[in-house]
Amino acid sequence: MSEVAVAVDDLVVEFSSDEGPVRAVDRVNLQLERGKILGLIGESGCGKTTVAHAMLNAVAEPGRIVRGRIHYAGHGDLLGMSEEAQRLFRWQHVSVVFQASQNTLNPLQRIEAQIRELARAHRISNPNALVGRAREICDRLRLDGRRMLDAYPHQLSGGMRQRVGIMLALLLQPEIILFDEPTTALDSLSQESVLRIIEEIHAKEGISGVFITHDLGIVAEVADVVAVMYAGRIVETAPTGTLFNAPRHPYSRALLNALPRLTGDPRAAKGLTGAPPKVVGEVAGCLFRERCRFQTAQCKMAEPVLTSVDADHRVACFKINEEDGRASV
Amino acid sequence: MTSVPAVERPRVVHHGLGRIFFSKPIRVLGLSIILLYILMALLGPVIFPPQIALVANPAKVFQGPTWADPLGTDFQGVSVLAEVVLGARGVLMVGIAAAFFIVVLGVLVGLVAGFVGGLVDTVLMRVTDLFIAVPQFPLLLLVASILNTSSPWMLVLMLSLTSWGALARSVRSQVLSLRERDFVEAARGLGLGTRNIAFKVILPNMLSYVAMNFMISITGAIYAEVGLLFLGVTPFNPDNWGVMLRQAAGTSGALYTTKSMFYVLAPLLAILLLQSGIIFVLGALDEVFNPRLRKGGARA
Amino acid sequence: MMRTIRRFGVAVVMIWMVTTLTFFLIRLMPGNPIATAYQTLLQQGMTAQQAAVQIHILYDVYPNQPVLTQYFVYLWNLVHGNLGTSIVYTGRPVLGLILAAAPWTLLLVSMGLLISFVIGLLLGVIVAIHRDTWIDNLTSQVASVFHGVPNYITGFIFLYFFTVMWPWFPFGNIYNPSIAVGLTFPFVASVAYHAVLPVAAYVFGAFGGWTLSTKSAAMAVLGDDFMMADKIRGLTSAQRLDHLVNNSILPLFTGFVLSLGFMFGGSVFIESMFSIPGLGYLVQSATTQRDYPVMQATFMLLSAAVILANFAADTLYSRIDPRIRN
Ligand SMILES: Nc1ncnc2c1ncn2[C@@H]1O[C@H](COP(=O)(O)OP(=O)(O)OP(=O)(O)O)[C@@H](O)[C@H]1O
Ligand SMILES: [Mg+2]
Repeated sequence: MSEVAVAVDDLVVEFSSDEGPVRAVDRVNLQLERGKILGLIGESGCGKTTVAHAMLNAVAEPGRIVRGRIHYAGHGDLLGMSEEAQRLFRWQHVSVVFQASQNTLNPLQRIEAQIRELARAHRISNPNALVGRAREICDRLRLDGRRMLDAYPHQLSGGMRQRVGIMLALLLQPEIILFDEPTTALDSLSQESVLRIIEEIHAKEGISGVFITHDLGIVAEVADVVAVMYAGRIVETAPTGTLFNAPRHPYSRALLNALPRLTGDPRAAKGLTGAPPKVVGEVAGCLFRERCRFQTAQCKMAEPVLTSVDADHRVACFKINEEDGRASV
Repeated sequence: MTSVPAVERPRVVHHGLGRIFFSKPIRVLGLSIILLYILMALLGPVIFPPQIALVANPAKVFQGPTWADPLGTDFQGVSVLAEVVLGARGVLMVGIAAAFFIVVLGVLVGLVAGFVGGLVDTVLMRVTDLFIAVPQFPLLLLVASILNTSSPWMLVLMLSLTSWGALARSVRSQVLSLRERDFVEAARGLGLGTRNIAFKVILPNMLSYVAMNFMISITGAIYAEVGLLFLGVTPFNPDNWGVMLRQAAGTSGALYTTKSMFYVLAPLLAILLLQSGIIFVLGALDEVFNPRLRKGGARA
Repeated sequence: MMRTIRRFGVAVVMIWMVTTLTFFLIRLMPGNPIATAYQTLLQQGMTAQQAAVQIHILYDVYPNQPVLTQYFVYLWNLVHGNLGTSIVYTGRPVLGLILAAAPWTLLLVSMGLLISFVIGLLLGVIVAIHRDTWIDNLTSQVASVFHGVPNYITGFIFLYFFTVMWPWFPFGNIYNPSIAVGLTFPFVASVAYHAVLPVAAYVFGAFGGWTLSTKSAAMAVLGDDFMMADKIRGLTSAQRLDHLVNNSILPLFTGFVLSLGFMFGGSVFIESMFSIPGLGYLVQSATTQRDYPVMQATFMLLSAAVILANFAADTLYSRIDPRIRN
């Protein structure tokens, strides 16, 4: 078995609200192996971005990490480090390609100034070299490096900004990059080129990555392992091939069925109805049961925990042996 | 005018008024302060009959607080408390009347400009711009010195004529944005005339804004009024906090003795307290009219 | 560039309109001072001829001329820098009076504005960072009470406590007349000493407004994605604060420049209260003594300050915000 680059352990994140604390992430366990890409999928609002930000102990207000450990190989638990050590750890070791990368640059500074600021923040002795490197990466991303660095954010198109975001994520040569829907804002041609770049970086520099997306086709293409999230919990995790060919959790199955496929049983192509619940305070039972075709009394009583069904394949469901055909009548 | 058919529109919500006011002690405080001033204005001459209370008493010049004169006495030996209480009526009346006309004028100009549009809008807004550009207080000074009158109604007229500009401008921009909203479209669809839409559909929707502006205009008008009297531009006008200030700063000699503290501070604090009361209550008004704020409750 | 020129044109037209308004306001209102003076002179037994000459000496106008002719004469003089002569300070040109008074007002008003802006900016940012805590509740409440309190109230309180109650600061004038005027240390120190209370009065009258508007600007910036990204990129607290402050200042900038114009209007109280020989004092004394040429000129100047500040705000804003700059 290869080495684990980061292990998320029993992570709980809550956002305070008027009705009480909203659990956006509940007892999440994740492992990312060195050099691998972990796909993180799930409906909008299920907590993917929150997990990514929590991995850097940077959950936005009014959120906070209630408990958990973020263990990085060679560094230990991030949450146990001093503020300053955490600050330097961020971006040098783990960077993020932001979901909202359209607006993640300070509108008042040229890109070059922002790179120099980054150099100062991370005590890089030769800022000029860093700027040169930024220009190089831009060229690799098929951006005009000189023009990019001279520009203010508002002078760039959405796709350009997205790629500038990728450039910044690569700039300090981190070991891990968290890609939060890096291709959503792009047209299919740019999507393709961004994916190519990610694969290239992945292959050449041995970077590990977490890849968050709604596009299951892309996950199938880039991820080695996939984790499915539902209402703040991981409900299934498996190697990509296994998950796509033999999903076990009813939610994963529904998610995969929502994907238009050329092959496969057309009867199985049923999307999901309803919406995930908002989790305020303690809850009992399986959170998916309201939308589940296999729901039984047991699902109301207790919450299923992740259990191994196979090597590397774990599922949180009491009804993993139900067959589609039998239940759908 | 015919009555407006039941057009769907967001309603101003009145229920829970009491709860909103009493949910924060500071609002109760604000409300009590305002009530106190209204009482002073109404009952002042009953509590302190001017013929008795304002008689000079050379034996009591610049005394500190006593049971008989809780705020001490002034340079003539008159009770400061009596002066403050008796001053309330004039100050409040002018302030409220001026605020009323400011709001009427501002809303009217803004409504007409925003609704009629075209040339009328252009002309009205140029005039408004001019009134906004001219610094209000110096203009007030200029007009006051020319008119040279101490009639409170002239004062009201001057105050309102010089301060409606900003309100007109923002009412106009609100009308422009409200016009595009569904319920106004719906009213238009029902064949309501322009005047009906302006006064029966749009105006009620700006009620909150107008009410808050009215409150703020009261403080603004009081400041300007007291300021004018303080500068001595308008002829002498007894029983007013501004005149108290002017005498405190000038002829009374209050600035040459440390014994005059209560006399000097009383009119200032009377104004500040009223302002605080209005500010505290504004928070509640804001919440009554903007239900969005109601749940958060974090704002004052 | 074209836009700048057009805006400047609008500003000039506005100033002309204010000038015209003032001119006719003074001459056409009941109690027209010139007509009144003319009548008084006639009643005192002068002939119409003598009275007209006398009025011309006093007010620089011929009372029997049609108002429109007077108006054009006034404008003609105006564009030639002739603002007339003062009535109270007999024979002194109004322009000279204004030029002597303006520096003091400029000094006090700009000091007051700068200091209150910096304090408001600091408090606003602190409050935005600590929103919904007791720091926020207390500061915001205090700021909203102070916001809108006219400076004569704060000024009077300072005046009484710090020149009468505890006479730590001098009262009246803006420097000690026994010190020779010049750029010497004693003179500058004396001016600074005399300026403390008036400037403090401006500051206390204005910081509340700045605090509240900074707070709402900073809260909006704190919700922006780039502030979140800044943290994840490992920027230092100082760098992040820098981004927060710079982005919060932008929406305040226009108001800042504008209030420079408006604060001249507020100088009437402070300067007459502290007897500072500036524009505000000039306005006040001219008004109480009905010195019309001076009143008219100072009023025009104060209005022009607001109009020009408006023009400056528009023009400068596009320079500090790269998104507008093109
Ligand atoms: N600033 C916030 N304030 C309150 N609640 C929040 C905030 N940010 C996120 N949440 C809560 O956390 C949950 C997870 O949000 P998150 O952004 O992680 O979802 P996501 O899986 O990334 O969704 P998407 O696919 O739409 O990006 C949301 O359902 C929301 O209730
Ligand atoms: Mg997300």
